[in-house]
Amino acid sequence: MSHWSARITRRKLLQRTAVGAAAATGVVNAPSVLRAQGSAVKLGVLHPVSGALSYSGQQGRLGATIAIDEINAAGGIKALGGARIEAVLGDAQSTPEGGNAEVEKMNAAAVAVIVGGYSSSICLTASQTAARYDLPYLVDVGVADNIVTRGLKNTFRFGPGFGVIAKTALDNLVTINDQAGKPAKTVMIVHEDSLFGSGLAKLLNAQLPERGFQVLETIPHPTPTRDFNNVALKIKTQNPDLVIPADYYNEYVLLARTMQQQRVRPKGIYSVLGGAASSYKFVKEFPEAAQYIMDCNHWFDPRNPKALALKKKVEDRGEFYTYEVFMNYSCILLVADALERAGSAERAKMIAALESSTFAGHVMPYGPTKFVDGQNQGAAPVNTQVLGNDIQLIFPQTFATAKPVFPVPPA
Amino acid sequence: MKGASLAHIVLVIAALAAVPLLTASNVVLNFLVVALLVALVGQGWNVLAGYGGQYSFGHAAFFGTGAYVTAILQMRYGVNAWIAFTLGIAGGALVGAAIGALAFRSGLRGSYFALVTLAFAEVLRILASVAPVTGAGVGILIALDLRPQAFQFQGRVPFYWIVLTLVAVSLLIVRLIEQSRFGAWLVAVRENEDAARAVGVDTARVKLAAMTISAAITAAGGGFYAQYFLFIDSGIAYGPWISIAALLAPIVGGIGTVFGPLLGALVVKTLGEIAKLVTGDAPGLDLVVYGGVLILVVAFAPQGIAGLLTSLRLRFARLRSSPPERAHG
Repeated sequence: MSHWSARITRRKLLQRTAVGAAAATGVVNAPSVLRAQGSAVKLGVLHPVSGALSYSGQQGRLGATIAIDEINAAGGIKALGGARIEAVLGDAQSTPEGGNAEVEKMNAAAVAVIVGGYSSSICLTASQTAARYDLPYLVDVGVADNIVTRGLKNTFRFGPGFGVIAKTALDNLVTINDQAGKPAKTVMIVHEDSLFGSGLAKLLNAQLPERGFQVLETIPHPTPTRDFNNVALKIKTQNPDLVIPADYYNEYVLLARTMQQQRVRPKGIYSVLGGAASSYKFVKEFPEAAQYIMDCNHWFDPRNPKALALKKKVEDRGEFYTYEVFMNYSCILLVADALERAGSAERAKMIAALESSTFAGHVMPYGPTKFVDGQNQGAAPVNTQVLGNDIQLIFPQTFATAKPVFPVPPA
Repeated sequence: MKGASLAHIVLVIAALAAVPLLTASNVVLNFLVVALLVALVGQGWNVLAGYGGQYSFGHAAFFGTGAYVTAILQMRYGVNAWIAFTLGIAGGALVGAAIGALAFRSGLRGSYFALVTLAFAEVLRILASVAPVTGAGVGILIALDLRPQAFQFQGRVPFYWIVLTLVAVSLLIVRLIEQSRFGAWLVAVRENEDAARAVGVDTARVKLAAMTISAAITAAGGGFYAQYFLFIDSGIAYGPWISIAALLAPIVGGIGTVFGPLLGALVVKTLGEIAKLVTGDAPGLDLVVYGGVLILVVAFAPQGIAGLLTSLRLRFARLRSSPPERAHG
């Protein structure tokens, strides 16, 4: 019923609003409203599909829409009489303001939940705006810890946050290094200078020395950066045992390629949430630059047949199976499960259903979901390594498909 | 449009003030808040560039200072948000005065001045991305505290009133400048700085004053941004996006006019929304359309929309006053 009344007011609005600018925005909103059917549940799918983060955003949108199509093909939300899920797609344009404006539109279109955001800064502002309307917001990737520590009742995160990721990454690094006979002692960190890279660099700088590593230098750079020659030269001069990059996709690829071209060969490249390290696209396009790169990142459960079926489906479409795809796919399934249990698309009931969620039907190696203060407790990253022309899971052993190759064998 | 009277300003502000009475849609209000924010920042740029002829490419320096001072005083020193906002404006003005003093004392003009302002904004961005007080690259999150005394509101309407008030004040300031002796000096500097100096205008002081006023107006936009979105980082506060927005709005609307920035901001933002509507969910296509239309505007209306309207009005007046055969011939 709620979108009927919303529709009437908006129509009146359109008739009455004399200011041209105001009318234009009203019109923008109209198509999604007119599409409304009695038996559809609307989900906001918000990603930065244009701008600096567009590739990741488009991958995220792909995962979400595949999940929605599958749910609809399987008969929709049964608890709501087979209601179809209707995606209200939003483009955050890689900026917090863009995300904020889309949340306003999605709220006006009466969505039940918003999924996505991708970058931490978009997630922070978008979830805050959604909180004004008690609109549940499920973060797909955004890893900044303060996304879930602000006390917002509406905000949930399916994936792990910085704290957990950094701790896991360091624990695993120490284990891998110890197993290889401790070849690595010195480290250089290259990071992009927004929330994601800087936050990570700060944590690494605090924790690496405690674990017996010496940080030689930390090099920040903006996104986008189109030349890494100086950075590669600096690395070559300092000659660290390990290079730890924390970048988004494009910069990561460029850094790895520049290092390859300048023959900078540390004993290992170990990234934490490396934008490209766990990306089939990178491995396919630049197999030599990608070889032996280790990463601690979001990864699907390779023992899960559903995860492999999704992989095939995505690859059959000619797309790459990146973490944005399976994270968003899982998030939509999680929301669908909450809808089934809530038996309603009402926002308060959806928040309650997400709070009590014990969903295990996703494709991640997390176990059943359990949200405490909005954070999924089982969420953790795993370690991968590019070996041959494939990405193998090397840690933890329960999921591993290969053994780590470290230090990198001489060329 | 030039020489807008007080009545014009009152009329325009009254028309905009009526919007929340007509609609409760937060989509519309959010759109207008952002457009008015761009208008405010653009008005700041317009004072210096439109009237003073000093083209700055680095108004982000003032916007970011306003935003950071507002956020840092609140979150690190527990200062009341309104006071922090006011001090943010003062901080922006101070940065404007400092950059102005350095640039104008060195006699930088034209493209050199533009490059120096760009460099200052970039330096500030890099400093903000590493300094602990600004939260380095992590940025500053202003704690959610939806009380009017904390400059945060449950709804969008109070924010709309506030940004509209700021825009109204900026319009009045620009009109005052236009009609004052100071405005005449400023325009003299724009038209021919050497001639202005020759007739006794203290050009360095006039430019410095214009820069300070310009920076203060832009800093108000920054402080408002921080309160509205509650999150800033170095890329948002000092990034080139806002320097570009600050000059795009007045250039499209008509530089050196009172209403240029407001008109430009509304047109540019509306264009962006229409482009999104036309292109649907195809990622990025709206930006292509937006860019294309912008090129057309600049190509066919180099004086901005205000200039276009004036020339159309003149042509219309000529048509009416002259005999029909001559008008057609």
